Amino acid sequence: MNDTIGNNPKDKHLVDRVLRGDTRAFAIIIKNTENLVAQIVFKMVPVAEDRKDLAQDIYLKTFHSLAGFKFQSKLSTWIARIAYNTCLSWIEKKKPVLPGNFYEPEAWQNHSTENQRQYSGATNASESQVFHKELTIILKNEVDKLPAIYQTLITLFHHESMSYEELTQITGLPEGTVKSHLFRARKMLKENILSKYKKEAL
Amino acid sequence: MTNSHPKEKEIQEYVLDRASCPADLIRHIESCAACQEEVNGYHLLFSELKQEPASRFDFDLTALVIPQLPSPKTGMSTDRFIFGFLVVFACLCIGVPVYVFWQNILYMFSDIPVYFIYAIIGSSAVILVIKILGLFKKYQGQMRILNFNYSA
Repeated sequence: MNDTIGNNPKDKHLVDRVLRGDTRAFAIIIKNTENLVAQIVFKMVPVAEDRKDLAQDIYLKTFHSLAGFKFQSKLSTWIARIAYNTCLSWIEKKKPVLPGNFYEPEAWQNHSTENQRQYSGATNASESQVFHKELTIILKNEVDKLPAIYQTLITLFHHESMSYEELTQITGLPEGTVKSHLFRARKMLKENILSKYKKEAL
Repeated sequence: MTNSHPKEKEIQEYVLDRASCPADLIRHIESCAACQEEVNGYHLLFSELKQEPASRFDFDLTALVIPQLPSPKTGMSTDRFIFGFLVVFACLCIGVPVYVFWQNILYMFSDIPVYFIYAIIGSSAVILVIKILGLFKKYQGQMRILNFNYSA
């Protein structure tokens, strides 16, 4: 295990405190990792009402399994793996109807309307700002249309700057598979965005 | 310098980690307008992905989780005691007969017909195969659920 992936002394200290019964240390762990967990939950679970229960479930599982954490990865990576597996179980159990993709039309509509409003108010902004905003809208839409695993990998790699090794630890997929999914996801995104942008430009 | 255009995968690798690309590939990409266009497209895509607003929970997760945590336990927990007891019990169940009947154990299997041993090995193999198939089926199910077969 290399140093960038391995545990750090702060993680060990926090885990030791939690194991001694200090719940404040667990609150710190939650604060430190909840954004990462949110990224995974939002990408994998399209039902907004279930995310709250799932998030709690993830941290309760983390708490109960903490004694078994062997520090072979970063604590955040380990918690992300619990989040990924919990979401996977949720998908298996609920079997949400996914129209070949994974997005909330309503949420997207609101988001899109809000963005459109911002966009229409930006008539005095420079051309590049308008282009950037427009691209952000298209990108969000296209990312949401990707399969859940692609969304998750793309977000963790490009947004959370995680390495292939960390993604392997989180998903349990071989590194080659992770790389190939990321390659396909980027290619798909690039092509979809280009075709969409060209259509809108016409 | 290579004349043929690099594959899409190589373009992505160039954008992600130029330093690890072969010199030929770098020279081609940097002198080819079509490849530069591809590279710019990916640069733009990656920078937009980096800036995409992050998803955040709209509730106080800490306030929800902390009250649900069990209070700290003192001394040995019941689970650990039961686990320890079962381990000792299992060791005794195996260890005592082995110790008492050690001399006879070696002769235990000598009178068993060969076909019976084959039957045991065969049925174990069948169970193993069934288990592996079950795991594989479960894996395939998960892959389907995650839309791995998605095609744009």
